Amino acid sequence: MKKKSVYSYWFLVPMLVIYVVLFIIPIAISFFFSLTNWTFDGWSFCGIENFKTFFTEPSLYSSIGNTFIYAFLTSGLKVVLSFLIALFLTSGIKTKTFLRSVVFFPNLVSMIAVGLTFKAILNPTKGILNQFLGVLGIDGRDWLGDVSTALYSVIGVDVWKGLSIATVIFIAGIKSIDTTYIEAAKIDGANGWQLLKSIIFPLCRPAMNSVILLSLIGGLKSFDLIWAMTGGGPGYATDVIASVIYKQYAAGYYGLSTAGNVLMYAMIAVIAFPLQKFLLKAEEG
Amino acid sequence: MRKKMGAKIVAFGLSAVMLLGLTACSGSADSSNADNGEGSENELHEITLQVGSDSALAGLEEVCKLAESEIGIKVDIEYTVAGTDTDNLIKTRLSTGDLADVLVYSPGALLMTLNPSEHFIDLSEYDFVDKLDETYKSAVSDDNGVYGVPMGTTRAGAVMYNKNLYDELGLEVPKTWDEFLSNCDKIEAAGKNAIICTMGTSYTIQVPVLGDMYNVLADNPDFISEFEKGEVGFADIPEGVTSFQKLADTVPYYQDGYTAATYDDGCEMLVSGDYGHWIMLTSALTNISSLYSDNINDIGVFAIPGDDPENVGITAWMPNGLYGNKDSDKQEDIVKFLEFFVSEKAIETYLANDAVTGPLCVKGVEYPENTPEAVTNDMQSYYDSGKVSLAQEFLTQVKGSATTEVCSSLITGQYNVEQAAEAYDDDCWKQAEQLGIK
Repeated sequence: MKKKSVYSYWFLVPMLVIYVVLFIIPIAISFFFSLTNWTFDGWSFCGIENFKTFFTEPSLYSSIGNTFIYAFLTSGLKVVLSFLIALFLTSGIKTKTFLRSVVFFPNLVSMIAVGLTFKAILNPTKGILNQFLGVLGIDGRDWLGDVSTALYSVIGVDVWKGLSIATVIFIAGIKSIDTTYIEAAKIDGANGWQLLKSIIFPLCRPAMNSVILLSLIGGLKSFDLIWAMTGGGPGYATDVIASVIYKQYAAGYYGLSTAGNVLMYAMIAVIAFPLQKFLLKAEEG
Repeated sequence: MRKKMGAKIVAFGLSAVMLLGLTACSGSADSSNADNGEGSENELHEITLQVGSDSALAGLEEVCKLAESEIGIKVDIEYTVAGTDTDNLIKTRLSTGDLADVLVYSPGALLMTLNPSEHFIDLSEYDFVDKLDETYKSAVSDDNGVYGVPMGTTRAGAVMYNKNLYDELGLEVPKTWDEFLSNCDKIEAAGKNAIICTMGTSYTIQVPVLGDMYNVLADNPDFISEFEKGEVGFADIPEGVTSFQKLADTVPYYQDGYTAATYDDGCEMLVSGDYGHWIMLTSALTNISSLYSDNINDIGVFAIPGDDPENVGITAWMPNGLYGNKDSDKQEDIVKFLEFFVSEKAIETYLANDAVTGPLCVKGVEYPENTPEAVTNDMQSYYDSGKVSLAQEFLTQVKGSATTEVCSSLITGQYNVEQAAEAYDDDCWKQAEQLGIK
């Protein structure tokens, strides 16, 4: 006898309609427009010309490099630092509830506001960071105006802001570990390091995978913070793929910037899907 | 089960139709109201005006107030974001049909990217456009018509300098680039800063290059037409490379923290007397005269010099124009307002509330009393002797979008002079291809 499903598939329709209208159709349209010379008044078909032009973009290769540096560095730092903070905040310290809110606070502020605030803090002559360093007798740098430090300064701010959400995920992961494991290990005479290495670390693997994946994808398509702090400059020193595309769009090269978006989509997919598969496998195994 | 589901769908469909019907009714009711409103002649006519600016424009606001009492048109001014975001906003509104009745926007290349014959009212049949200066008229016209009237006065991309400091150190206005650099050395030797750079407001760093157009054209009169065809670029002629060399020459003289200094900082520094020069658009005089009105006549202007002391000329920028929206249903009111905007009374009011930053674009209008000396003495002499060229964006539509990035790369040492010139050419030609100008 055929077993009847409890719920009708019709329940899926509203979500499906939203998904198709807001995601599938725009993606299909953007694939089409990436093959056209598209101005705000109309379009003409131009084949793969836009993709060719996109690859001749002067800052493209440095921006791809910057994107990877940005994504892997922010992701790596966030995983390590937030794991340590989460360990600290799940330990027996007294003020942990207060500290947890403090850690979460940066996440309540919008990315643009964070960017503008840090731009003021990092101002080479008037910013409080260099004034503070001056009191200590250290000569501050031109953090955002110097080609060699600009990208890393933005990365530092991104990590500062992104730590909060990563820490919360880790806290949840650590808290969800059944205390009987820990008790059993303690009875067996495990010390703190062994506890961390053999119990906590492996058992919060799912949480770590979420943090890695989320922060890496976030880093790969990161734009708002860089735009608010440096606008991709000085020159092209902090340009990432998303800011290259935005500048093309702002200049009115709609077809070209759409082609860039299609390429960025492909690039993120190529990185994110295998990574997710790998991480899931590691989680199961 | 199936039957019930079907009934539900029908019910949902019916209620959707009813809702649609309701909105349709209210929609038509609205439009009929609007029709009634238009019918009555005695009421004040209202039009909207859109302008991209970060700060309030006193001149424009006063003229709009005057329009209400003089010609019975109330102008509702909408300030939108300034910079490249304004381009996006305008293009989006043009394609969705939401543009205000009157748009304030740059003439020249930027206007042409909006396809003016399609979107703006052709004013060529009206007498008042004959009052416009011919150069300005050409910057707001294409083959199909004339679209705009000027708001304010021209500007120049030139060297603004502190006259007190020049007097103090006994310096002369330089006639060649080498003299300029030697002046800079003397200022530095006296313990002051020679050149202000305001990279924090990124567009300002292009002025030393773009303001050198007079010198490029002095030896290459056909440059622009060859440039448009993609035959000759800045990198291919010595004068073009020199424009970028000049920017590179200025870098060692910049003040500390120049990467973060803003336009407002620049104004403050220039009047302070501790800084010698600022290569900027003279529209900064507006800001300086409103913030530091006592010091406005401490500021002088000279053209970016070339190599020939006998041929020093200035590069000019045209003021923004007011353009009438062709799709608006208030065509008559719009044209009436534009005509009023270039009337003697309106211009007088405008200039009383906004600094004069260069010669005017309407024939037969005198400088008002509050005109800075930098304009009446310094700048006017170039115009009187005909030593003026327009900036690239008013000579050709081919003008790239990444000039700021190219200049910034040169300043921070990521490009050398030749690379910068080549990158600039490539960027301009890419724009021509993308926007279908060729």
